[in-house]
Order: sequence, then C-alpha cells, then structure tokens
Amino acid sequence: MKVFKTGLATAITLLLVWALNQSWDVGQSIPPLGKFVDPFHGFWQNAEAAPAREENLSIPGLQQPVTIVYDSAMIPHIFAQNESDLFLAQGFVTARHRFWQMEFQTHAGAGRISEIVGEKALNYDRSQRRLGMVYAAQQALASMMSNPVTAAMIQSYTKGVNAYVAGLSYEDYPIEYKLLDYAPEPWTDLKSALLLKNMAQTLNMGEKDIEMTNALKLFGRETVDLLYPDNERVGEPIVDNAGQWKFQPVTIDSLPLAVPDEFVTIPPTKKVPADVGSNNWAVSGKKTITGSPILCNDPHLNLSLPSIWYMIHLNAPGLNTMGASLPGAPAVISGFNDSIAWGVTNAQRDLVDWYKIQFRDSLKNEYLYDGAWRKATHVAEVFAIKGKPSFADTIVFTHHGPVVYDERFQPDRELKHYAFRWVAHDPSNELMTFYQLNRARNHTDYMAALDYYTSPAQNFVFASVNGDIAMRIQGKYPVRRPGEGKFLLDGTRSASEWQAFIPNEQNVMHKNPARDFVSSANQYPVDDTYPYYINGSSWEAYRNRRINQLLSESEEITPTDMKELQADNYNLKAAESLPAWLTALDSAQLTPTEQKAFATLREWDFYNHTESEGASYYEAWWDALYPMIWDEMRNEKIALEYPSTYNTLKLIRTQPTLSFFDIAATPEKETARDVLRKSFSEGVGAIEKWKNEKGKNAAWADYKNSFIGHLLQGLPAFSYHVRHGGNHDIVNAHSRTHGPSWRMVVSLEKKGVRAWGIYPGGQSGNPGSPYYNHLLDTWVRDEYLTLAFTGADKLKTQALATTTLTPATK
Amino acid sequence: MKFLAQVLVTVVICFLVQTFFPWWTLAVVCVVVGYGFRQGGFSSFMAGFLGLALLWVGMAMVIDHQTNSILTEKINRLLPVNAFLLTGLIGALVGGFASLTGALAAAKPKRRW
Repeated sequence: MKVFKTGLATAITLLLVWALNQSWDVGQSIPPLGKFVDPFHGFWQNAEAAPAREENLSIPGLQQPVTIVYDSAMIPHIFAQNESDLFLAQGFVTARHRFWQMEFQTHAGAGRISEIVGEKALNYDRSQRRLGMVYAAQQALASMMSNPVTAAMIQSYTKGVNAYVAGLSYEDYPIEYKLLDYAPEPWTDLKSALLLKNMAQTLNMGEKDIEMTNALKLFGRETVDLLYPDNERVGEPIVDNAGQWKFQPVTIDSLPLAVPDEFVTIPPTKKVPADVGSNNWAVSGKKTITGSPILCNDPHLNLSLPSIWYMIHLNAPGLNTMGASLPGAPAVISGFNDSIAWGVTNAQRDLVDWYKIQFRDSLKNEYLYDGAWRKATHVAEVFAIKGKPSFADTIVFTHHGPVVYDERFQPDRELKHYAFRWVAHDPSNELMTFYQLNRARNHTDYMAALDYYTSPAQNFVFASVNGDIAMRIQGKYPVRRPGEGKFLLDGTRSASEWQAFIPNEQNVMHKNPARDFVSSANQYPVDDTYPYYINGSSWEAYRNRRINQLLSESEEITPTDMKELQADNYNLKAAESLPAWLTALDSAQLTPTEQKAFATLREWDFYNHTESEGASYYEAWWDALYPMIWDEMRNEKIALEYPSTYNTLKLIRTQPTLSFFDIAATPEKETARDVLRKSFSEGVGAIEKWKNEKGKNAAWADYKNSFIGHLLQGLPAFSYHVRHGGNHDIVNAHSRTHGPSWRMVVSLEKKGVRAWGIYPGGQSGNPGSPYYNHLLDTWVRDEYLTLAFTGADKLKTQALATTTLTPATK
Repeated sequence: MKFLAQVLVTVVICFLVQTFFPWWTLAVVCVVVGYGFRQGGFSSFMAGFLGLALLWVGMAMVIDHQTNSILTEKINRLLPVNAFLLTGLIGALVGGFASLTGALAAAKPKRRW
C-alpha cells in the first residue's frame, strides 16, 4: 500500500513537472506554464522598473572603453574612441532593447517562422525562400565583406549583438521567447544582410506583372492603357528638369511584346498595400526664417511593435550622427550629422520581372535559352517545423533567378514555370552608402555615398549647413524598352532580359532648383524629356501635390510649420471628388438617414481630423464605390488589379458611361452616376451599422480605428488602438494599419543643427518596459521629441542612465 | 507547529535554490523537505502547497509592485485567468504533490496489530 501510494504521488509529481515544462498546441499555443509563470525565471522577470543609473559592463572584443548615455527619451548616445568599438556598441545596445525583434524579422526574411509557430507558417516560409531572400542576402553579404570598411562595420556589429546573446540565461530571454518556448541563437553577419533585404522586399513587392498580363489578354491593349497608364500626369514630378538632361542615354534594341498565350492562373506574390509610401522634402534657406535649410522625412510603413526604428546617436573620431536606425543593421538610416541631413522615400520603380521558363523535361535540369539547353541549379531547402518533422523542398534556379512557381508550389495543375528576376538579387553594398552619409560633410560627399546604393531604389533628400538642398532618385535601374517589365517576359531569349543599367550619373536628380525646395512623396519621378522609359508599381497622386502647394506658398518657414505640414490632414482626394459625387445624388430619392449623411458631407471641410464625421462618411462611400466599379476585376480564376484611385476618379469624371461602370451582376446598364448613388446608400448603410454596433457617432478616429500591432500577429495584449487623424492619400498618411513610422525635422543652422523626431512606440522592444510605448502618445498628438544632439558631458546632467563598456580581459 | 516549520523551511530553501536553478528544482526541494519532516501525507501536501503558493505569489507581488504592474496588466489580458492566481496555483500544485511524495516515502508502514 505504501509503495503504491508513494509511487502514485511520485508519478503525479513527475507528470505535473513534465506537463508544465513544455508547450502545448491545443488549437492555440500554450507556453510551458511552469517555466512561464515561475517568478524567478518566467515572464515576471521581464517586468522592468527604471534602468540602473550607473552600470559597468565588460565586453569581449572591445578595444577601448565606450560610454553610453541614455537621455530622458531612452535614446542611447554612444561615445566610442574608434569605429570598430562604435559599431560593436551599437550592436550591443540595440540587441539589449530589440533582440527578439531583430531575430524574428530575420527569421521571417529567411523563411524560418515555422520553426517558431509551427506548420501554419510553412507556405509563407517556402515563398520567402523561393523568392530567393536568403540568396539575395548572401549576395549582399559577399559585397559587404569584399569592402574592408563595411566588413569591419558588420563584423563589429555582430560581435556586439553576440556579447548580449552570450550573457543570456532563461530569465533574461525577451518575453516572446518564453511565450513561444524557443531560444535566442547567436547573431550572424548574414542576418544583418537579411534585414536589409526584408526592407527591399517591403518596398519592391508592389509589382503586378501577372495582373497586367491577364488584363492585357482579357481587355486588350487599348483598355489596359486607359485603365493602367504608365504616367497619370498628375501634379509635378519629383524632378522637373525639362530639356536639361544633357547626357547620351544608353540605348538598346526594341523588344517585341511576347505575352504568354494563356491566362496566368498562378496566384501573385503577397502584395504590399499602396499605403506603403513616404514623404520627404527640404526647403532652402531662402524660404526659412533662420536662413538655413530645413529637411523633413517620414517613411510610411506597416506600423508595428516593437517599433520599426530605433533612435541612436553615434560618436567616434570623425563621426557624429544621429537619427533612426534599423534594429539589426549598423549605422543611421534616416538622420543627420553636424553638417548635413538626409532622408528617404520609396522610388516605386519596377525592379521585379517574371520570366516564363521552358524546361527540357520534368527533371528540370536544363531550360531553353537562345535555342540551346542551359543548365539549371537545384537547391535543396529544409524547413524545420515546430512539433512536426521537417519539410524538404527543392528550388530550381535559372540565371534569371529562382523558379518560384512549379508543381511543388502551385495549387493548380497547369504546369507553369516562372523565374523571378529582382534587382535585390544582385550583389550590392548599401551599407557603404549609410556609412558615408553618416560622415558626409557636403553635397559632394552625399553624391559619392549614393553611388554605392543599389536597392531598394529610394528618393534621397539632402540638405546641408552650407545651404545646399538636393534630391536624387538612386537605385540600380535596368534600361527599359517601352512597355518592358509591365507584363510577364519570355525567358527563353536573351533579348528579353535586362541588357544594361542606367549609369548612376544619369539617374534622376537635382540640386538647388529654382523653386527653392525639393520634395518627394512616391509620385512619378521625372518630366517627359528624361530619355528613359519608366515603369512603376503605383504612383502617388495626392500627398505630393498638397506638399508642393504648401511649400510653394510658404515663406519664412519655421520648424513648427514643417511639423504641422507632416501632420496635415487635408484630404485633397475628397476635395477633388466629393462635390461632383454630391451633385450626382441630385434628384435621387434619399431616406432620412441618407439626407443627414448628405448634409454632413456637404458641410465637411475635407480635413480628416480625429472628430470629423464627414471623413468617415466619405471613406465609407469610397470603400463601397471602388469595388463596385471594378467588379470586373474580381475573377475567381485569374488575378487582376484595380486601377489606381486617381485614375478611377478621373474616369468617373471624364468617361461616366465607360462599360466598367456597369455592374455585371445586375440586368440594368449602370453609369458612373448610378454606381455613385448605389455606393452612397451602401456606404451610409455601413456607417449606420457601425454606429449601432458601437453605440457612438462615427468620429473619424473611431471609425478608422488605427491599430499598431505586435509583430506576433498583433497579439492584443502587446498592441494598441490609437485615435489619430489622417489617412492614406493624405500628408499625415496614417491609415488603419500604415502610417508615419518615423518623423524627422532637421534645421541645418550654422550655429548648430537642431532636430526633432518621433515614432509610434518606444525604444524598448520589451512589453514589460515603461519604454515599450513611451513615445506613442506624443506621436499620436503629432508632437516631437527635441533630439539631444550634444556632447556626453551635457547629456549626463539629465541622463536616465549611463553605461560604460570596458574591454573584457582574457 | 511542525506544519508551520515545514512551510517555512520549504519557502526558505526553495527561495535559495530557485534563485540559481530552474523552476522544477522546487519539486526536488519539496520531496527532500517532505521526507525530512515525516508528517502525514495530507499535512505535508498542504505544507508544500501553501509554501509554494506563498513563495511564488509573494515573489510575483514584489516584482509587480516594483514595476508598477506594467507587465501584469498585459499578461492578464493574455491569459484566461489572473496571473497571480495561475502563478500561485501552479507553484502550489507542484509543491504540494512533491511534498506529499516526500512524506509518503518517509512514512513507516502502519502496524495493523
């Protein structure tokens, strides 16, 4: 009896310990509860109070002591005595605040999410590897390593990150590791490269070659040109230099269009929404109150937590730069130093193509190329899956790039092979650009720095204390023949390949233009006299015009004016479209509710402020109208693309009887006026339904319901809803999910550069830290931090904490 | 008296051992302490149960207080049950069964005559 009882108690104890020491998947993932709730090592240990005021850490690989002062906004100011120590310290402090995010993003880049969350991420992972993300990162790393400056930079950064990783035990793991029950792994140089390729993927994947090819087959060339023009001719291009492009352009033989004979039934790669965009501009001293240039930048990305950017101030001999860095990569990406400032917006250019491949046989060892058989490379990929045996895949590489779709990775039975050509697969060393920008003194240095920059193509704005302002649309662009790259291409002939690239000095750029400002907001880049064909995923039509209008009108500009412009909520799209829409409702029979909505819209001032109800009604109307017009584009078998917002509104205005306004599902023949009326009723209905559900008025901020989600699928406990104005197509470009991920205003005054910055979130990536979201409210109020761009002694007087890193003695 | 002593000893030793070792070492401590005290099975179970509930909830409360509940609030939204309750219950159950195991292993067989 005793033995039995003891045995039973032992068994229960062991069973409990075993069950509570591992994670369970019961439809929902449950962390190992014993480990997780243990207050000595589990999640409780992730709760942070104020940081230690003084701290001394011994770091292996460091050459000389480094001082890090954290200012009141938790921004680290790093003072190092040499560059290698500087980047090591940057890696170390960034990892301390953001390591989980750094690793998660590089796992996402490399297609390794299944290792963490299980089989549900397998398709995502396979798609990442089939797009050649790891291959692209390897190519980039090889370039970085072949340059001694960037090689040292990246190796130091890795050392710094690993100094943090080496000191970790379970209780120190960021909380996400404890939740998902996995462990941090050492950082590698390749991971920094992967991170940069992630950004390239975000900014280049608006391409729609498959959709355009299908549209061409379905509607014909004339309709395609009408619905999807290459240039919508709206507003000013980024650079208007008409007649001044005095160089001999590279020319190549024209290319006959060779579109596949059949519809393309494969699903396109996951689209990046058009909300991804950015604003940047610089005004010359002639237009400012101080007589010095002011530069502004705000990149619009999918807002997430931990925050996309990490503010940092880097000091070493010959270097004093501050701004936003990307966790996982050395240097400052959008920022300033004591002589210049720079910022970036996406150039939108089409740098992605798909080539139809003809394999010799099902072995796919050879493919047809200029009448001969060329060898393909097979790369075996293994995907570790949490809780399951691993999965093996083989990716076939042609010289164009990886064959993303084949019978292993394609839901339908029709075998089609398309190879993916992406400029980010080519060797490049963007890190060198940022290294040089960080220490640039003038326009010449800026130009030299950009010569290293390949991808993702960006509009680089520039201003200097010397008084220069400039814009350069930098990237590696294939010389396109008219129409090339818009549709799928024939992979069997060398003639349809990228033949040459636009030389750097022939890229679109200008310096100190007559209008005394430069600006970009993802619009069409250049005037008609530029001698190269330009194709892009989408061109912005509203923000750019509003910015340019206000900048042209303004004189004696102050930094405060620039902050107000970044937060401008004027809805130009509504101002241009709504009056005519309301006219279209004339003589229509409106219900009492619709009459009230009509009145609200008529009185609306076109500003998407937080409390505006007109903005909500307008948006609901548009959300009903847009898909109603383009019902023809929702096809179950083939992918098609809606025409742009601007073009849709233009067609309503100019061609109201176009056949596309007819709703295919109804017997009547609708015109633009009919769909406007129908969608108005639908939109008002949507608002009424919303009001009934929420029991409150449809104030814009509530109706929009912006959400800043944690990287783990917006885990509610670690995410926030915010009440904020703005929207896509508005300068304050905050839609429900996307928005200004970093706002910066820099006044380049001779007596000292002054700068302001803010982003939604906080410096720490730890949900258990007071610094996880300490900047969020300031950002939502459209306010800024004054960036403390000063020396260590002055900073120390109001520092939160000071950390001294000393070389570890062997 | 012996009961309170076992609770106290469990708390103190678990605190020391847990500071350095993983969570499951509490079970080892409880088995040993339970064996040493040679109480009845129920008393030993309760001593371990209470000891670990006190230790884990107490420790959690100290952290919660020092950090202004910054993480507790978030975890309460994440978990279906209150974070303190779950922490206390899990520590207590393992502590209780481990202490019971120790006590049972130490108990002399009852004489039936």
